[in-house]
Amino acid sequence: MTLRTPSVWTVAAFALLVGAILGSGTAMLESLARPFRIGDFAPGAIGLKDGPLPAVNASDIVHDFGSVGVGATGFHEFVVGNSGIAPLVLTRGATSCTCTVSDFEASEGGSPGRTKTVEPGSSTKIKVQWRGKGVGGPFRQQATILTNDPRRPEIAFMVEGIVVPTWKAFPESIVLSKLSTGTSTEATVKIFTFGAEPPVVTTTSLQDTQALQFFSLLSSPLDPADIGSEPGATGGILLTLKVQPGLPIGPIKQVIQIVLRIPEEVTIELPLEGSVSGDLALAGSAWDSSRQVLALGTVSSRMGLNTQLFLTAKGPHREAVRPIVREVVPPSLEILVGEAKPVGSGAVVRIPLTITIPPGSPTANHLGSPQAPAGRIVLETGLPESPTLTILVCVAIGP
Amino acid sequence: MNHRLRTVAIVARIALVLLAGSIGDSLRALTAAETKTTVPSRGGDASDELVETFRQRNGSIFEGWKKPQALIVLTGELDGYIEPCGCTGKENQKGGLSRRKNFLQAVQAAGWPLLAVDLGGQVRRFGRQSEVKFQSIADGLRSMGYGAVGFGSGDLRLPAEELVAAVAAVGDQPTPFVSANVGLLGLDAKITPRLRIVEIGGLRIGITSVLAEQETAQIRNDAVEVIPALKALESVAAELTKANCDHQILLCFGSPEETKAISLAYPQFDIVATAGGADEPPAQLGTLPKAHLVELGHKGMFAVAIGFFADPAAVMRSQRVPLDARWGESSDMIQLLGNYQSQLESLGLTGLGIVPLRHPSGRRFAGSAACADCHKQAFDIWKETPHASALTTLEEQVPRRDGDPECLSCHVVGWAPQRFEPFEGGFAGTLTTPHLAHQGCENCHGPAASHAAVERGDVRASVIERDRLRNELVVSIDTPAGKLKATNNCLECHDLDNSPAFDFDTYWPQVEHSKSQQSEPQAGP
Repeated sequence: MTLRTPSVWTVAAFALLVGAILGSGTAMLESLARPFRIGDFAPGAIGLKDGPLPAVNASDIVHDFGSVGVGATGFHEFVVGNSGIAPLVLTRGATSCTCTVSDFEASEGGSPGRTKTVEPGSSTKIKVQWRGKGVGGPFRQQATILTNDPRRPEIAFMVEGIVVPTWKAFPESIVLSKLSTGTSTEATVKIFTFGAEPPVVTTTSLQDTQALQFFSLLSSPLDPADIGSEPGATGGILLTLKVQPGLPIGPIKQVIQIVLRIPEEVTIELPLEGSVSGDLALAGSAWDSSRQVLALGTVSSRMGLNTQLFLTAKGPHREAVRPIVREVVPPSLEILVGEAKPVGSGAVVRIPLTITIPPGSPTANHLGSPQAPAGRIVLETGLPESPTLTILVCVAIGP
Repeated sequence: MNHRLRTVAIVARIALVLLAGSIGDSLRALTAAETKTTVPSRGGDASDELVETFRQRNGSIFEGWKKPQALIVLTGELDGYIEPCGCTGKENQKGGLSRRKNFLQAVQAAGWPLLAVDLGGQVRRFGRQSEVKFQSIADGLRSMGYGAVGFGSGDLRLPAEELVAAVAAVGDQPTPFVSANVGLLGLDAKITPRLRIVEIGGLRIGITSVLAEQETAQIRNDAVEVIPALKALESVAAELTKANCDHQILLCFGSPEETKAISLAYPQFDIVATAGGADEPPAQLGTLPKAHLVELGHKGMFAVAIGFFADPAAVMRSQRVPLDARWGESSDMIQLLGNYQSQLESLGLTGLGIVPLRHPSGRRFAGSAACADCHKQAFDIWKETPHASALTTLEEQVPRRDGDPECLSCHVVGWAPQRFEPFEGGFAGTLTTPHLAHQGCENCHGPAASHAAVERGDVRASVIERDRLRNELVVSIDTPAGKLKATNNCLECHDLDNSPAFDFDTYWPQVEHSKSQQSEPQAGP
């Protein structure tokens, strides 16, 4: 008897059929075997458990307390219903802050617990209590309730509002960034109050007695227009700080103390921070202010380098700053001094310095080690107090 | 049949079976794709248990989402919280660059086209530490591939040279920072562009940022030019319109009221992010006449994700994303934090410009061990509390935090906790002041060097003086006024930022040592 081998096409069709059945069967088995996970839930695509289900019903889940005072307590009751055909089990979940607490309506004769069962067609109340903390401003906190409704396993109730302080300072602190030792300046702070009576300043002072001779404080009532600019404010004080020239170079660390009667006496402390620096400064992506060097790193002689550094000048002689390059190490560095331009109101002048290492520059090592001292750019500044400026340059020009 | 032909036929049949198998596998994949949507829901090495705990606690995210055409992730107002910290445990708090990076990576791993933008407000404080922190955060945002980053008022109070070093383009890598109305060293210096256009998922997105007027009033930095936002937007908005963007994003660092006013003046921006607002973002985006308003909350605890879809029935969806422990920790960001801490340690207190303050009482510190001589029972109780190993907690962190003034101020003796500065004679390092390590007696009772010296007999004092020194250090919670004073002292460290769960009546029993004093003999002459 001759064994008939099937034709190639028969084999192909059979193999295709087997492959397709195997593939689809594997997919089906995988999806059934994979545990249900939140995050990859596709509604309607994965089978829910059989049997009657609860249906949680909570349409109003955000409550605005409006304005509350610091330390005040507010509470709101959210209503949660069950429009399903099985008991709805609610479990108290987490709150985003201990200032927010949720509790269930107590059962008759019972006390509030961690869980609550709501029969089909019934509803219950969830009381969310909140206590004002902090110094004032808008707040928003969340209390989560977990449910056994697989379509809505959690509900995030939210409470929000504005904590109204007894006073508010704007700005909250005074920062004088990089003052020139040779110039004077002035800064103001508006202190708004929210009580029934206008504030009365008892005293103003600076906490640190160092460098007192350079600071003075003045206070006056705020204009009605300014008071109106702050929602809820009923009064206010304008505090003016004047700074005289001559502050030593270094950090400014002070605390301004204002004692107000509003009508109770409160002591307000406002940080006064900043720094006093020399009239020249350098800025650029390659400028390392910690080491005070221009860190160009290793540069390929074939590629060269082009980078920009800014020289800034402030103080009474800033307009006189006109840098002239006097010395450059390594000599292959090319420095192009750009046009001086004022920044904003003109209290600072900016001068761009374009630094180029042309392609083909000879190799050099000025990385700043004892064996390879840093390079430098020496500028004549035109500034009487600092006639020259030496910029250290850490660079190695390799092949 | 020819043997060779037979072999070829067998090989061909095997090949056909394999081909059919792969077709079947493709069918399987197609079937699976219809029932499975990969969504970013966890990150890093977070365990299943941790992920489930925080899903229950802070909610699920991207539930029911299909893959969007593009996902915009908005963050902002980090306020210096480069990582969450506090005594309730890092795991129980939200935020930090580490989790943020892992969240963004999870989005990318899910194959969702991503554009990350930041409103600004990386730092809140002034000083050298904030300068170093700003540089670290800027490096972190660059490494995360942010498409646009704005400026907050806290950022712009820093010296311009520090800002430029952190922000400027490096080589051919452009800066992610962008602002329509803020120019470091002048708008014409062009250190940052005024707008950015990004193509993502086939959509063209235009982005710009502004600093609003009230925030501008908070900064006094002559090397930073700020022009009114409305004026600045005239030219920028025109350029964005010409670019035919599908969506335009305005990052407005200002109060919600100011942001709304700017949005009304420029309705072309359909997504508008604002600063101010409450500590947490709302569950849903706010609505303006022609835009969606995005609030981001404070301290970088949340990100807000906006997905765009090709489906005309559901063009846009949003999701607030809590940056909690389900996202795990990013090794890159841990490394960045380590570099930051190393810089702080190298600079030291002097390099950070930290100068000791004079204590309001004028007194000096003795160290908790000095109290043990007479107050042994109270000391023994204290030794068993977490206060007695507070500095160790910082040393054991990875990276360690014992060189960070913002951490030290609540973990050692003799610092002003809310100012992150030491008092004169306060802790200055474990080498020079080991006796002032940990959260010790004098942080609550006051500096006791004079009292200890008198009680030891090192210094002669009258009975009146001796009693005065003793009484000055007594803290009583038996009266409402005393309890309030004690509570306020606790709140210096257990504040809303670091200890949101603090409640005096709950916490006090864990450290109570007042009863022990009644049974202790009074030492001294």
